[in-house]
Order: sequence, then C-alpha cells, then structure tokens
Amino acid sequence: MKNNIELQNLTKKYVGFELKDISFNVPEGCIVGLIGENGAGKTTTIKSILNITKADGVIKIFGKDNKAYEKEIKKEIGVVLDDSFLSDYLTAKQINSIIKDAYKNWNENKFYDLLKQFNLPTDKLVKDFSSGMKMKLKIATAISHNPKLLILDEPTSGLDPVVRSEILDIFRKYIEEDETRSILLSTHITTDLEHISDYIVFIEKGKMVFNLPTNELLENYGIIKCSEEDFLKIDKNDYIKYRKQKYQYEILTSNKNNIRKRYNIATIDKPSIEDIMLFYIKGEK
Amino acid sequence: MIKGLLKKDLYNLSTYKASLIIVILFCGIAIIGTEAVTFGPVIICSIIGMISLSTFSYDEISKSNKYILTLPTSRKEIVKEKFILAIGSTILGGILGLLLTIIVINVMNYLRPENIINIDYESLIITTIGGMWGISLIQSIQIPSIYKWGAEKGRIQMFILLFVLIVIVLGIAFLLMKANFYINVEMIESFMNKYGLILLAFFMIIMYYISYRISYKIYKKKEE
Repeated sequence: MKNNIELQNLTKKYVGFELKDISFNVPEGCIVGLIGENGAGKTTTIKSILNITKADGVIKIFGKDNKAYEKEIKKEIGVVLDDSFLSDYLTAKQINSIIKDAYKNWNENKFYDLLKQFNLPTDKLVKDFSSGMKMKLKIATAISHNPKLLILDEPTSGLDPVVRSEILDIFRKYIEEDETRSILLSTHITTDLEHISDYIVFIEKGKMVFNLPTNELLENYGIIKCSEEDFLKIDKNDYIKYRKQKYQYEILTSNKNNIRKRYNIATIDKPSIEDIMLFYIKGEK
Repeated sequence: MIKGLLKKDLYNLSTYKASLIIVILFCGIAIIGTEAVTFGPVIICSIIGMISLSTFSYDEISKSNKYILTLPTSRKEIVKEKFILAIGSTILGGILGLLLTIIVINVMNYLRPENIINIDYESLIITTIGGMWGISLIQSIQIPSIYKWGAEKGRIQMFILLFVLIVIVLGIAFLLMKANFYINVEMIESFMNKYGLILLAFFMIIMYYISYRISYKIYKKKEE
C-alpha cells in the first residue's frame, strides 16, 4: 500500500513548546485521525506538512519532498483550515472565480452542485454565513478539484451534530469514490473519528503517544473498574494508566483479553477514543 | 495563481466603489471651485494607491494568508501579486487623475468660453508623475513594513520611517545651507527639465524593486 503522506521525525521548536519526533503515514484509501488536546501540536503538524511553517524532519507527500515539490504537490491537495479561508468579504461565486485559476482540474460544475447540495447561497458574503455554512463552503472548495489528498484541520469543531454528520458523510463518500485518495483529519472531537477513521495518531504535549488502527484501538483497549484491593494486584506492566475515582479505580489496558485471563476479571468496558485520550492525559502510572 | 490572487484583492476592494466615486466627484468639484489644474492627479493617485494597501488588512482580518499558502502558489507569487496591485493602483490613480482634470477643465472651458483655463500639459504630466512617485515611495516603505509588523503596526512603522526620511533630507539640506554650499538652482532646473521624468520613473522602478526584494525576504521567513 502506497502512502500519500510520510512523516519521519518531524520536529519543530517554539518558545515554550516543542513538537518532537512525530512519525506516521497516511496510506492510500485511508482516513487518519490526528487527535490531541488544544495546543498538543496537531495544527503545527498540519502546518509543517503543508510547509506553512518550517520544521525539521522528513515530510513526503505522494513520495515527494514537501518543500522541493511544493507547488506540484499542492495541486493534488485539498485543505480545510478551521480558522482561515480566502476572505470573509467574498461570495461563493467569487470564490469559484478565484480558485479556478489556482487548479487546472477545478470542476466548476462539481463546486456549484456541492453548493446546491449544501443549500449554500452563491451571492451572499461569507461573513454572513453561519459556522456550519462556512465549513461546508470550505469543504466544497477543498474537494472540487478532485484532490488525491484532503488535509482537514478541525473541520467539525463548533458544529452541531446534524451538520457534523453531514460533513462526515461527505468525507466518507470522497474516500469511497477513489481508493487512492486519503484524508488526514485533525480534531479534538474524537467521536467523529470512531465512525470514519482507519488510523488514529495521538499527540500529547508535542509528542506522539500512539499511532494505531482505529479498530485495534477500540477492540483491544479496555477499561477495568475495580476496588483498591483488586487494583493493587494488577501488575504495572499490564495497564497503561489508572485513575482513582471516589469509590473505585479505573484502569486502562491496551490488551483486555490478556488482563481478563490473568486476573480473572469478568467486566471490562469498551472505551471510546475520548476515554483513551483522557486516560493518557489525566491518568497516572 | 497571481491572477486568482489579484481577483481576490479586487473583489475585496470593490467595497470601496462608492467611496471612490465620491472622492472622484469631490475632486471634480474642487477643480471647478479652485480652478487648480495640478492637484487632481495627486489626490486621486494617493487615495487609490493607499486603498490598494488595505488588501493587507482584509487578509489579516480573514487570516487568509495561511489558507493561500495551502494553494498551489509560492510566497514569491504572493508578494509579487501585492506589488502588481500596488503599482497598478498607482498607475491607474495617475491616469484617472490626469483624465479627470483634463475632462473637467475642458467641460468648464466649453461652458464658460469667457473664462478659459489653459492647461499646461507638460506641468500636468510632471505633477502626475510626481504624485505617482510620492505614492510609490510610501508604498515601497509600507509594504515591507506590513510584511514585517502586520497591517496595523506596519502603518505606524511606515509613518515613523517616513518621518525619519524627511528629517534626514531636511537635515542634509540644513547642513548644506549652514556650510554655505552653493546650489546652482538653474542648472538643477535645466537638468530636471531634461531628465526629470526619466529620473522619477527610474527611481520609482528602483524603489519598487528594492521594496519587493525586502518584502520577499521578510515573507519567506515568516511563519503563519
């Protein structure tokens, strides 16, 4: 399987923050979710991939160096940024007229069809759009040149569940249309990823905590709720983190079958990605 | 992509349409009132030239620079586009001011044949080029300042730089006077009459070029 993005030891230093040795791939046909708290380094990772910010390490997109082949690569990428777009003082019609000069394979009909599908007006200024409408416009703009790779920074933040679900459907459809396509999606709304992602990359305080297939994460990880007495019997190497609650201990394990057999524990809850993230951030060892 | 970026800025600037028409009308009325032939090009050129720089503020408000860098373009093209817009606006301002003056004066002459105003085309062109030169100097200082400090701070820094430049020029003039340095005004006048326009145009090109190089150098290193 080819990789549309390859990151090796991505490192970026700011005053008071360091993104250190981030390595992961985004294979063809896959959706990779980049998760982490606000300020964990997700946006810096995306900005480094897009060469908006200069970082050290190896960054390859479609097998090519992201700096040496920047323009060529960007022709095949669609990007949605949470806090940035062309201009709030433009209409969708004007955006079409601007962006069609950027991409050779810009599909005007597709763009207008998407606007119609999303019920977006063509003559209204973007500044008068709601957050959901703005996001849909950004997505329509990002996919109307049929890019091979979509890079999305917090595309669902601040949106209501209905719009979020609509947007996730768009991404699902986009991937299904062509198996060489892929999506790198950064979000702190992890529930979205449970439904659509193939891999999860978790970044915490600038360091990569894990890079795992989503189904492996959801199937192998488990949360054990037990008394202090039972907790003390469990070997430290058999769990990742624990959280002491008022009346019990909660333990996160990455191999629930093993722990079930070794300690004869009957009930192990299936964690959500959010639970896992919270254990890593708030838990102790 | 330069074409697309130009379109973006022109669409943004289209909000100034009404204000621009009012300014042109005001200038027309002022020409009628004062019968002055020379100030139209300077005023219109300055206003259009400065309006073109407000695209930086639009970009800053919408945080569009980050998004633009995700498109298949380069930092060089982005800076180039801003200079094309700035130079274009200066030229357009000059031409509009020149035409407005000529049209208004000719209409006045047609309506008031008893009070004919003679247009000295040579001095009108010199004034226009002078106005364009002035605005190009401001743009050449302001664009790198904006790239360095942002649209708001850049404006303040530009005024400081301009003030420093004026102080330096006046200081040199004062020192020359104090030193009883003889200035052959006639010679300078005859030289300027001969080569003034070429010199102004040449310095305009040099200023814009240096300003472009500095702006690109700053923007190349800038992180969005």
